[in-house]
Amino acid sequence: MLIIEHLTKTYGEKKAVDDLSLHIRPGEIFGFIGHNGAGKSTTLKSAVGILQFDEGQITICGKNIREEPVACKKDLAYIPDNPDMYEFMSGIKYLNFVADVFGIPSSARQEKIRRYADIFELTGDLAQPISAYSHGMKQKLALISAWIHDPKLIVMDEPFVGLDPKASHLLKEMMREHCDRGGAIFFSTHVLEVAEKLCDKVAIIKQGRLIREGTMEEVKGDDSLEEVFLELEAE
Amino acid sequence: MLKVLLKKQIAEVFRSYFYDAKKNRMRSKGAIAAWIIFFVVVMVGVLGGMFTALSLSLCGALAQAGMGWLFFVLMGLIAIVLGAFGSVFNTYSGLYLAKDNDLLLSMPIPVKTVIASRLINVYLMGAMYSSTALLPAVIVYWITGGLSAAKVICGLLFMLMVTVIVLLLSCILGWVVAKISLKLKNKSFITVLISLVFIGAYYFFYFKASDFVRDIIQNAETYGNRIKGAAYGLYLFGRMGDGSWAAAGICTAVTAVVSLLVWRVLSRSFLKIATSNGAAEKRRYVEKQAKERSVFGAMLAKEFWRFTASANYMLNCGLGILLLPVSGVFLLIKGRVICEAIGDVFSSRPDAAAVLLCTLFCLMACMNDMAAPSVSLEGKSIWIPQSLPVEPKTVLRAKTAVQLILTEIPMLFAAVCAVIALPGSAGLKVMFVITTLVAAAFMAMFDITIGLAMPILNWTNETAPIKQSGAVTLALLGGWGIVVIPGILYLLIGWRLGAVTYLIVWSAIMAVISLLLLRRLDTKGAAAFRML
Repeated sequence: MLIIEHLTKTYGEKKAVDDLSLHIRPGEIFGFIGHNGAGKSTTLKSAVGILQFDEGQITICGKNIREEPVACKKDLAYIPDNPDMYEFMSGIKYLNFVADVFGIPSSARQEKIRRYADIFELTGDLAQPISAYSHGMKQKLALISAWIHDPKLIVMDEPFVGLDPKASHLLKEMMREHCDRGGAIFFSTHVLEVAEKLCDKVAIIKQGRLIREGTMEEVKGDDSLEEVFLELEAE
Repeated sequence: MLKVLLKKQIAEVFRSYFYDAKKNRMRSKGAIAAWIIFFVVVMVGVLGGMFTALSLSLCGALAQAGMGWLFFVLMGLIAIVLGAFGSVFNTYSGLYLAKDNDLLLSMPIPVKTVIASRLINVYLMGAMYSSTALLPAVIVYWITGGLSAAKVICGLLFMLMVTVIVLLLSCILGWVVAKISLKLKNKSFITVLISLVFIGAYYFFYFKASDFVRDIIQNAETYGNRIKGAAYGLYLFGRMGDGSWAAAGICTAVTAVVSLLVWRVLSRSFLKIATSNGAAEKRRYVEKQAKERSVFGAMLAKEFWRFTASANYMLNCGLGILLLPVSGVFLLIKGRVICEAIGDVFSSRPDAAAVLLCTLFCLMACMNDMAAPSVSLEGKSIWIPQSLPVEPKTVLRAKTAVQLILTEIPMLFAAVCAVIALPGSAGLKVMFVITTLVAAAFMAMFDITIGLAMPILNWTNETAPIKQSGAVTLALLGGWGIVVIPGILYLLIGWRLGAVTYLIVWSAIMAVISLLLLRRLDTKGAAAFRML
C-alpha cells in the first residue's frame, strides 16, 4: 500500500530523515514512534506529498508520489498533528468541500457525514463555524473528513491528541475496521500503550534514522513497548 | 515584558521588510534598504508631499489673518481622520482577533501588558499615518509664522495629542466593531457596508477639498467665529498648536482623562471579547442535500467564502467592485461633460478621453487585488490543498478566478456605461470594452503571480497578509504603475496610431502577457505552490 524507500530529507545542514525505508501493507495498522524532532512528521508529510524530499522513492498503491501526486492523494487521507482548518467555513461546509474534491455523490456523502458525525457526537455542531470549535472538535472534524471518502491509506500525525476518551476509543475501533476492510493506517504517536495494543507493526525512528521495525511481537519481545523504546533511546 | 511583546508586534508588522518568506531567510542589507527606501518614498514623498502642498496653500493666508489656530484645527482633523481611518480594523483584528491571544494569555504576562503592547502597536501605526499630515503642517507653520519657545513646545504637544486622539478613536471604534461582531450574524457584510459609508464620506470630502480650502480662506473669520461659538473645544485644540499654554494644558488634561476612561473600558472588556469564540448564537444544523461541485467549483466556492468571511479582506482588496459601477453610472450622467473637458485639454490628441477613461477604469480595477494575498491567507491551513487530490494549478486558478469574476463583471458594467456616454466610432467603443476587460484579466494574473512570489504563511493576524504584505503593496502600486503607462504613452506618441489601433495594440500586449503569466502559473507557479 505504502512503500517508502531510502527517504532522505534535509533542512539546511540537518538531516531530518536519513535513508528511511518502510513498507505498509493492506490491512496493517502501522505505528511510528520517536521522540520530538526525530523525523516522524517529516516522514508523514513526505509520504502524503506535502513535503518535497531530497532522495528516495515513495509509492502509494503502486503510484509514485512525485510522478502522480494527485492520483496518489485520491487513495489517501491525511490528518496533521494540529488540524488548522478553514476557520471561515462551518463544519458541514468543510465536509462538503472535501467530498466535492473527492467527487463523492451527494447522497453517499450525506449518509457518511450523518454516520460519522453521529459517532463523534458532532452532528449538532456541524452548522457552527470551525472558528468556534475546540481542538478536539477540530480533530473529530478532520477524522470525519478523512473517513468520508473511503481512502485506502490513512496517514495520521498524533491522531489521539485532543480527543476525549470516548472519541479515542471510537477512533481505535474505526482504525481497526478500516484495516479489516483491506485499508492501511500509518500513524505517529507518543502514546505507547495505544500503539502497543493497536498496531500490527511498529517502527521506531531516532535522529531521522530507523532503528527498529517489525511486527509488534518482533519489536518488543517479552518487554513492554515503552521499555524497548526507552532502551533504544538511551543507546 | 512590554518591550519584548512590543518588539514582537513591530517585527510582525515590518517582517516582510527584513525577512524573505519565500527563501525562509533574512533579506540582504541591500534588499532591506531598498524596501525601506520604497516605504519612505511612499509615506514621505507621496502622502507627505500631498499634505505639504495643502499646508502651504492654507497656512500663509490663515496665519496672516491671525487665525493660525484654524489651520491647526483643519490639519489636526485631517491627521485624525487619516490615522484613525486606517487603524479601526487594525485595532479590532490586532487587539481582539490576534491568533496568539490565547498563547499570551496563558503565559505569566499581565493582561494589561498584553493590551498595552497591542495598543502601542496601534498607536505607532496611527502615528505613522497621521504624521504624514501633521509633520508638514507643523513645519510649514513654524516656517511661515516664525519660531518661539511656546510655538515649538505647543506644536510638539499638539502632534502628540493628535496621535493620542487617533489611538483613542481607533480604540473606541475598534471596540464598537468588536462588540457588534459578537452580536451580528452577517457581520462581514454589515462591517463592509458601514465602512463603505465612511469611505464614501471620505472621498466626498476629498474631492470637495479644494473648494473647501478656498471657501475657508475666503471666509476664515466667519468660520472661526462659528467654531469658537459652537465648538469651543475645537478652538482650544487649534490654539494648542498655535502656541497657547492654557489651551495646551486644558487639551492635555481632557485627553488624559479620556485616555484613562478608554483604558479602563478596554482592560475590563478585553478578556471577554478576546476569548469569545465568535459565535453569536449556536446555529442549528439541518441536514439537507448538498449541491455537488467539481473540484474547481469546490476550490472556487472556498475562495469566495474566504473573501466574503472577512470585512478586512473585502475592504482592502475589493474596493474596485464598488468603484467601477459607481464610476460607470457617474459617466452615464456626466460623461459628455467630462469627455468634452478632456477633449479641450488634449485637443491635439484625438480620442484622448476614451484612452484616459480606459486608463482610469484600469486604475480602479487595480483596487481589486484579492488574488495577491490569497496564497498567504492559506496560512497554516496550507496542508489542506496540498494534501487533497487537487492539482496546484487548479488551486491557483480558483484564486485567480475570484478576482476575475469580481472585477470583470463590474468592469463590463462600467465599460458599457462608458461607451454609452463616450462619443466616437463603434470600433472605438468595442475596443474600449475589450481593453478594459483584458486589463482586468491581466491584473488578476499579475496579482496571483506576485502573491505566489511573496507568500507569508506564518501570520498571527490576517491584517499582515491582507494589508501589510509586500505582495499586496506591490500588486496595488505596481498595478497602478503598469496600467498608467499606456495612458501616458498615448498622450506622448500613441495618438499617432489613432485610438482604435492603439487600444488594439495595448489589449494585444496585455493579452499575450496574461497568457504567458497563466502558462507560468500552471507550470512554475504550481511547482512553487507545492513547495510552500
